[in-house]
Amino acid sequence: MADLKLRDVRKSYGQTEVIKGVDLDILDGEFVVFVGPSGCGKSTLLRLIAGLEDITSGDIEIGGRLVNDVEPRDRGVAMVFQSYALYPHMTVRENVGFGLRLAKVPKAQREQAVGEAARILQMEPLLDRKPAQLSGGQRQRVAIGRAIVRDPDVFLFDEPLSNLDAALRMDMRAELAGLHQQLDSTMIYVTHDQVEAMTLADKIVVLKDGEVQQIGAPMELYEHPANLFVAGFIGAPKMNLLPGKVTAVDGHEAVLSGADLPRLVLPAPEGDKLAAGDEITLGLRPHDLKRMPDGPLELHTDLLERLGHETVVAGHLPTGARLTAVLDGRSPVALDETIRLGFEPSSARLFDAGGRAI
Amino acid sequence: MTHLENATAGAPKAPAPRPAATRRARRRRRDAVMFIGPAFLIYAAFVIVPLGMSVYYSLLRWDGIGPISGATFYGLKNYIEVLTDDDLLQIIGNAFQLAAWFTIPPVVLGLAVASAIRSQMAGRFGTATRTILFLPQVIPLVAAGIAWSWMYDRNGVVNQFLSLIGLESWTRGWLGDFTYALPAVGIIGAWVLLGLCTMLLVTGIARIDGSLYEAAKLDGARPRHEFRFVTLPGLKNEIGICVTVTIIQALSSFDIVYVATAGGPGIETTVPGLEIYRLAFAHRQVGLASALAIVLMILVLACVLPIQWALRERKQ
Repeated sequence: MADLKLRDVRKSYGQTEVIKGVDLDILDGEFVVFVGPSGCGKSTLLRLIAGLEDITSGDIEIGGRLVNDVEPRDRGVAMVFQSYALYPHMTVRENVGFGLRLAKVPKAQREQAVGEAARILQMEPLLDRKPAQLSGGQRQRVAIGRAIVRDPDVFLFDEPLSNLDAALRMDMRAELAGLHQQLDSTMIYVTHDQVEAMTLADKIVVLKDGEVQQIGAPMELYEHPANLFVAGFIGAPKMNLLPGKVTAVDGHEAVLSGADLPRLVLPAPEGDKLAAGDEITLGLRPHDLKRMPDGPLELHTDLLERLGHETVVAGHLPTGARLTAVLDGRSPVALDETIRLGFEPSSARLFDAGGRAI
Repeated sequence: MTHLENATAGAPKAPAPRPAATRRARRRRRDAVMFIGPAFLIYAAFVIVPLGMSVYYSLLRWDGIGPISGATFYGLKNYIEVLTDDDLLQIIGNAFQLAAWFTIPPVVLGLAVASAIRSQMAGRFGTATRTILFLPQVIPLVAAGIAWSWMYDRNGVVNQFLSLIGLESWTRGWLGDFTYALPAVGIIGAWVLLGLCTMLLVTGIARIDGSLYEAAKLDGARPRHEFRFVTLPGLKNEIGICVTVTIIQALSSFDIVYVATAGGPGIETTVPGLEIYRLAFAHRQVGLASALAIVLMILVLACVLPIQWALRERKQ
């Protein structure tokens, strides 16, 4: 176990800078998830930490030791790859014990470590099989086992569940969470799936175009997104973002309106952050919208997804702006119907013209 | 057991109907025969019949000029001669020595090159290396033989180079030297086959999942471990193909040897392919030549089949 620090870490390929100065502190035993859309640099950042790519500038410290020029094998990290990366000609036992074999650990000790990893991951019956004889979930388990036996300071996971089907992904997610509790190790996990990020992480790092957008606990990011990108990325369905204007600020209340907005009165943020005439974007989580006979938003439905426990309703406001709401599973709503929606004023989020949260 | 299963188990067995399924099967068989038939006829005409005729000729004493009806039946005497005649045994031995030259250097060097350019495969360096190494493969073997015989000449580039680096005592007429003629011919074959092996191995190495190398690095592997535990197992099929092709090339070689040394000095570089040609067309001993050809075929199969078998075994 160890903490990890990134200081102004940058990575360029030729003229193209893909990691643009990342600063990050990961505490000992923390489960940190890097999340972001494809091409945001999350896997590259993980590979920089692993030492599979060289950083262009900055510092990486693992357990207080600067590892910029340290070989991957000596960094005290173990990585689980998206493609599992199991040696196809070796049995599970040999795969899991390979790192120890290279480290010249005596056979008896090696067998014991492999057995212990197999016990933790419940894969004892698989030990004498070859990877080709395993299912996707079993292969992933072996890949994790290979990481466990090395007893690394930091575990790195590069989209480890993305090749699994939905049901298995959910099971493995729970197992990974359990594993983290059991091992109490520092883990860094890369995913583009924000559900994985929300369910697994102690801390989420949202990346876009090689830059950190926000770092925080899952609910902190959900409740208080730092900018429009995080607001749109975290949460499913996506937060509704409606552009508008502040028409008046009266003490503790602000009056909003706009092409896509009806006249709304919301609590004004602390301080003088809002002034009449400011361009803003109103963020409303679909789950915060409720059906109210006198609600301020008039939605004409054109898409209905009944998921059982909830119903996702999408449609457009009279101005044409798109809006999504998540209603009760048995909500009596129909397609091509006009319904009125309201929300708790405190659940609304405001963003300034630059996209930053107010 | 369910109620339904009980009912089914208890019911008397009805005679199996033989309707459309059988007709379909018959039609499928007919289609298969129609597709395979033409290819089989061509294969039979150009492989099976000549092979059968060779076996037949190998049992005869025939000069190849007079009518076959004039040939005398010789039994297995031709085979006995092939397997007991010192010269013929040396010729077979030459083929095996040549096989080592044709196989080991190309595969070993091919592996080294493939491993070295693995990370630069997509770049200009990788393309240039592959092109340069494949070049010998597109040069006609006769041309390669002539070019190398010039290089091996007493005044050739090989001796010039040796003189240049102060090894004048090593210079000689390589292809006329009783000790070094066969290795010299072997090097020509190795040079020709290096391109093919490198191409096969480079293509194979490109198919190995790059994350295996990264996983190995994180597991503590150094380059030699990566080669041993990732590259070699990942290339076992390609290595098998290389070994098979090069062994066949060596055991059945003719053109390089014919052009470079014509089998000399003495019979130091004579190989079965060349001897079969001589026996059949110069010495008019078609029966003995056929027997040598059949023995050569059996030797090729004896070398190649275990390799193929071993590869299939490991695949399972």
